Amino acid sequence: MNHLGALLLLAINTALINNMVFHFFVGNCPFIGVSRRIDTAFGMGCAVTFVTAVAAMLSWTCTYFILAPGAPLTTWAWRQFNPTSQAVVDLSILNYVVYIFLIAAAVQLVEMYVRKFFPALYKAFGVFLPLITTNCVILFVCLEIMKHVSGATGPLYWGPDEALVYAVFAGVGFLIAIVIMAGIRQELDHCDVPKPLRGAGITMIIAGILALAFMGFTGVDKGLEAMFGK
Amino acid sequence: MTVITIILACGTMLLLAVLAAYALGWADRVFRVPVDPRMEAVLAALPGANCGGCGYVGCSEYAAAVVAGSVEVSKCTVGGVSCAAALARILGVEVKPAWPYRPVLHCGATYAQRLKRADYRGERTCAAANVISGVQGCAYGCLGFSDCQLACDFDAIHIINGLAVVDYEKCVGCGACERACPRHIISMVPFKAERMLVVACSNKDAGRDVRAVCKVGCIGCRACQRASDLFQMTEHLPTIDYDSYDPDKMPDLNVLVARCPMKRIVAVGKPSEKDLAAVKDQELPGVVMGEFRTTADEAEWRG
Repeated sequence: MNHLGALLLLAINTALINNMVFHFFVGNCPFIGVSRRIDTAFGMGCAVTFVTAVAAMLSWTCTYFILAPGAPLTTWAWRQFNPTSQAVVDLSILNYVVYIFLIAAAVQLVEMYVRKFFPALYKAFGVFLPLITTNCVILFVCLEIMKHVSGATGPLYWGPDEALVYAVFAGVGFLIAIVIMAGIRQELDHCDVPKPLRGAGITMIIAGILALAFMGFTGVDKGLEAMFGK
Repeated sequence: MTVITIILACGTMLLLAVLAAYALGWADRVFRVPVDPRMEAVLAALPGANCGGCGYVGCSEYAAAVVAGSVEVSKCTVGGVSCAAALARILGVEVKPAWPYRPVLHCGATYAQRLKRADYRGERTCAAANVISGVQGCAYGCLGFSDCQLACDFDAIHIINGLAVVDYEKCVGCGACERACPRHIISMVPFKAERMLVVACSNKDAGRDVRAVCKVGCIGCRACQRASDLFQMTEHLPTIDYDSYDPDKMPDLNVLVARCPMKRIVAVGKPSEKDLAAVKDQELPGVVMGEFRTTADEAEWRG
């Protein structure tokens, strides 16, 4: 299979089959919180996609050059201290700290950008835009990339292209999930929901049913692999 | 090995911090949105209750309108006069005399004084009871199902003996009770003095019809109109024009109150010195009788 085919497979796999919200159950708080209206939900999905892509690229760079065991920059710095040593320098203890730091910086950047160029969207997000900082989709993507960079070899290894495709389509998967949810919730406003289930209750039930529906994609990757593999 | 790993880790974090600080500083300059500094000052001077009493969605919306100059500075009912003065100082405008708006109830009949009350078993809200005729004889007066009490965020209005009573110590004048009342018998009036005259009846029917449904309702005798031109009679009911209400040019409140044979002209607000002196000698009850209602009564099943 050529490289482009593998990337396409990775994209479909990330966005649909292993959807962030419905398969891994990450990013539930903006998924429930900002899915009241389709336009806000779409904006949130785009913002998350953008932040994920930026944070993933930053974290791939940091992991590859600084954090992974035997990373070039740290090894070079190590050799400055003792040129004869052959020890493998490992800064993976810093993984979480660095990722959260990078995500926070990326969110700040996006917040300023949105405030400048999309004031209406900025107003609609309210508190949820700074809350992307704590959106687990992004940390999840960073950690997934970390798994495929530090210590991974062969087909398991991800270059920056795979990392970017993975991050963008993780965001797209989140976008699909939150927009579908917002569409359902807009219709739900006209329904007579039993009182104890109103609000978050019925939303969680619908999210569960949607997750069941997305299970239907299971196995699609195998078929596609067989198709592209020839 | 360990020491140098620690040094490398510290160096990495420091390097990242410097890079991120530089990038964010650059972004802050490029993406800067000029915000009117007055806007922030106004927002800081507002109480931040977000009650909506000014007619805007929240304090920030009102602040934006104030800075734009499209609304007066004195609309904040929670902040009152001091808040209006602070806003006027920030914006450099003249503050018009602003009076705190407080709700007054245009009904004065307790359960015992309202006649022809039926045994109502529907939903226990005024809004529901109001659409049915025959819950009580008076089609104008207080229903006493505490919609206003539930609407109040400040615990400042209570149903006592079936009649809403405003606690002016706690009231901030947000107007939630005025909007909640389905019979529109609560109105927000400018409190130009500590005690304000209020017509405590809303019944516009002729005296005979009023007497049939209420022991204390206004019978439209016009005694108040003869005593002072403050009162205008419309459909057998006096109304007070609060725009021309001037506490300095009025006869003594108690004289006007005493003129009404039905005692429907009342003075509300803070208790006066005379009222306090009148009850000074009375002993406080040794045992305070509790009200045998629990929070479960508030949370009853509403269909």
